Amino acid sequence: MGSQKRIAKELGELVQSPPDGITVELADESNLYDWKVHMEGPEGSPFEKGRFLIKLTLPTGYPFKPPSVSFATKIYHPNVTNDDKGSMCLGMLRPDEWKPSSKISAVLEFARQLLAEPMPDDAVEGRIAEQYKNDRKRYEEIARDWTRKHAT
Amino acid sequence: MNIHEFLSAEADCDREGLVDLRSLDCVSHYDSHLMCPICHCAFVQPVRLQCDHVFCGKCLRSAITSFRSTDSDVFPCPSCRTPTYEVLTSVPRLLINMCDDIRVRCPFIPEGCQETLPRGHVQSHVDKYCAYRPVPCPDTSCDQMIRQKDLYPDQKCTHGLQQCPRCEEDVMEQDYEEHDKELCPSLETTCVDCGTTIVRREMKKHVEACPEVVSPCAASKYGCPVKIRRAEIGGHEQLCPLIAMSPYFEAQNTRLDLLELTVRHLQQRNEIFEDGLANIRSTLVDSAPAGMSGASGGNDHQTDNMDESVDRSSSVFSSNATTYLLSLHESLREEVDQLSHAITDLDARASMTILNESLRIKEDMAHTNAAVNSVRMQVQWLMNPRLHHGPRAGVRANTVGGNDTNRSPLAASSAPGPSSTAGPSMGPLRPRRPSDSGREGTKL
Repeated sequence: MGSQKRIAKELGELVQSPPDGITVELADESNLYDWKVHMEGPEGSPFEKGRFLIKLTLPTGYPFKPPSVSFATKIYHPNVTNDDKGSMCLGMLRPDEWKPSSKISAVLEFARQLLAEPMPDDAVEGRIAEQYKNDRKRYEEIARDWTRKHAT
Repeated sequence: MNIHEFLSAEADCDREGLVDLRSLDCVSHYDSHLMCPICHCAFVQPVRLQCDHVFCGKCLRSAITSFRSTDSDVFPCPSCRTPTYEVLTSVPRLLINMCDDIRVRCPFIPEGCQETLPRGHVQSHVDKYCAYRPVPCPDTSCDQMIRQKDLYPDQKCTHGLQQCPRCEEDVMEQDYEEHDKELCPSLETTCVDCGTTIVRREMKKHVEACPEVVSPCAASKYGCPVKIRRAEIGGHEQLCPLIAMSPYFEAQNTRLDLLELTVRHLQQRNEIFEDGLANIRSTLVDSAPAGMSGASGGNDHQTDNMDESVDRSSSVFSSNATTYLLSLHESLREEVDQLSHAITDLDARASMTILNESLRIKEDMAHTNAAVNSVRMQVQWLMNPRLHHGPRAGVRANTVGGNDTNRSPLAASSAPGPSSTAGPSMGPLRPRRPSDSGREGTKL
């Protein structure tokens, strides 16, 4: 029950003073554990002007268990799986690195930061990471193309 | 205090009747440093770790139980992950005082208590002073709750019903005062929009008709943003293009609804079919290899067949076993058919090759025959002079007349031309080529 209070509080804070380029709402008003997050691509990144829908799922053990972040909008990014799940690999969300004191707003801001600066060494899509490292121009081209196709 | 002691101390801080300080409504703003990083509320019974991080006692307990591997003596600090063995219950007095000074509302706001007070005093307020705290009704036959202030002085049940003389509604005794002064439908009130005074029970009707109430355009659901006073809305509605379009929108909407419904139905049906198909497929995969391995030639064949039978059975889908067996039977039969086809095919091919081969051999033999013949001719030709010499010598020696009569018709028929100069005494001669005869002529 303690978890619900905390989630409600964090949700209230996020709705009242949302971080840059991020808006948060519940996917279903009666369920505190499924959130719908709209994230605008950070300026200067190939995802600029894109609007990405992110599904944030909180486990019942929150804040002792990490939330999971997945992109419902297709995105060309080394740290997001390129399948229908679109799971995002965030270091701080790994069960052995998660801290109960981390806040969801921090998670979302970190995710947005990751859009601006991918971490190819921590990638889930090896091919895209290779391309990011070796052929940055082509990567940005495709990412921009995908953003235009899927996220506008 | 080590963690085992800390965990077992849980019982005495969770007793009944304690105000849940976390659910209180804070009036004053407090510093975010006073917030427990786990529950995000101001600290409640804070404890400290060796790394100087502070948490609510209760939050830390749940954190330990969810992080610690069973029964070990160590757990990671929820903030900095330092391995921790000990929990210090001594927290700076300053911190506790600051938390206790946060002003909150009494938890019995719904009952009517308007008090705001420091958080540290809430417990005693609720326990002793709050007049609005619900307590069990003094009448033992009544199971309702009563506010503490209504309890005194006469200690009687206030849940009996009383009829209001003006509106003839039954009202509970404890609510009567409020009803009499504020809520009774026969009381007069003023409309906030037009300022006329009307009876409370008419209010609902009035609000629907009040010309001063600001109401949205009738086409607001189709996107008309206009919101004006009801008196003026008639004029707007004559001009609003969305109103003119609304019958069309309406028709489209109903169509859409209808289509959605159909789509949903179809989806459901499709799901059912797919389920059935998956069932059949799984049963087939389970049993087909066993049933078909004897009959089928190759794996590709088998899966082809299986797909066929699945397709067929899906069209007449029913979950019952006979159908399934029938379809299996059908597919096996088809398999057999195919195999027999293959066999006839092979048969035909084999006989064809045999025929071809024998033809070739025949031809070969004819060739060989011809060659043999020509060789024989050569040999004969080569042998001829020798044969000639032998008989000629014999003829010369013996001069047998009988021999002559025997040979002369042969010689006459076979050796016309120059060779005939050899005379009738020549030995038996085979027909010769003209060039041969020329050569023979020189030899002779």
